[in-house]
Amino acid sequence: MTVQTIGDVVFGDEITPWQPDTSLQATRSFAHAVGYSGSGRFEDHSKARAQGLPGALVPGIMGMGFLTSMIHRWAPRGKIKYIDTVFRAPVLADHEHTVTAVVTDIDEENGEVVLDLTIQNEQEETRVFGTATVQLPAAS
Amino acid sequence: MTDIDDLRSKFLDLEFDRTGFVIDAEQSATVAKTSGETRSEFIDTTDPNFEACAPILASLASGRRLPIDFPKLGGISMDGGKAVACIKPVRPGIKLTGKTHLHDIYAKSGRSGRMIFLVSRMQLYNDSGEHLATTDSRQVIRERPDK
Repeated sequence: MTVQTIGDVVFGDEITPWQPDTSLQATRSFAHAVGYSGSGRFEDHSKARAQGLPGALVPGIMGMGFLTSMIHRWAPRGKIKYIDTVFRAPVLADHEHTVTAVVTDIDEENGEVVLDLTIQNEQEETRVFGTATVQLPAAS
Repeated sequence: MTDIDDLRSKFLDLEFDRTGFVIDAEQSATVAKTSGETRSEFIDTTDPNFEACAPILASLASGRRLPIDFPKLGGISMDGGKAVACIKPVRPGIKLTGKTHLHDIYAKSGRSGRMIFLVSRMQLYNDSGEHLATTDSRQVIRERPDK
């Protein structure tokens, strides 16, 4: 499901859940691009475990990227004005996670929508949560 | 126990760092693509509207994490989260200046003790002084019981 204008948005709607690529190859590329590589914590399970971690991690801001990507697919003409992500617990690389969002507020006058965001692991434990404010074109 | 009101009165809203950045277009596109982004203006560096994606803005780190005279709080420090406010598109390749201050300091108590939250806010400006974006970095410190 996608929305084109503020008129298409329904309060309480859930954006189609999505399973992002949490593979080591993806986390390694991301970590390299943002300058986080080298320690192994985002690149190598055994090196991460040697640091006391349960395995290699998905960088926290990559979770923000999963969420912005989902919002952009849902609202191809939308502009994210604000996104806040709380890193509640580690997101492990090579584990399936589900990214979801729910519409919690609609401001038709200003063309803005507020979304509640979550990233959950296979046990349905919330690892990342947050909110986003998205601007959409006015209904025609 | 750390006096939160004292820290707030001494450190909030005072710029403690100013750092220059230039975002690389290819790096921003890689960050966007590996996050699953599909919109051209974030993944295609030849798109005339190409702009830096939110996660790469959140990755920009100030030269100092805290003011030089900020007391050591001890305890275990963790990355508690990031926020980005997009005001105008940030184009890769331009000179950016990030001005950082402590935006908030607060504490929460739970079963495992008190957690102190330090929110560093970086405001990003272009060479003309236009405010393009703001990023918040939330550092969480689990206070030691003896503090």
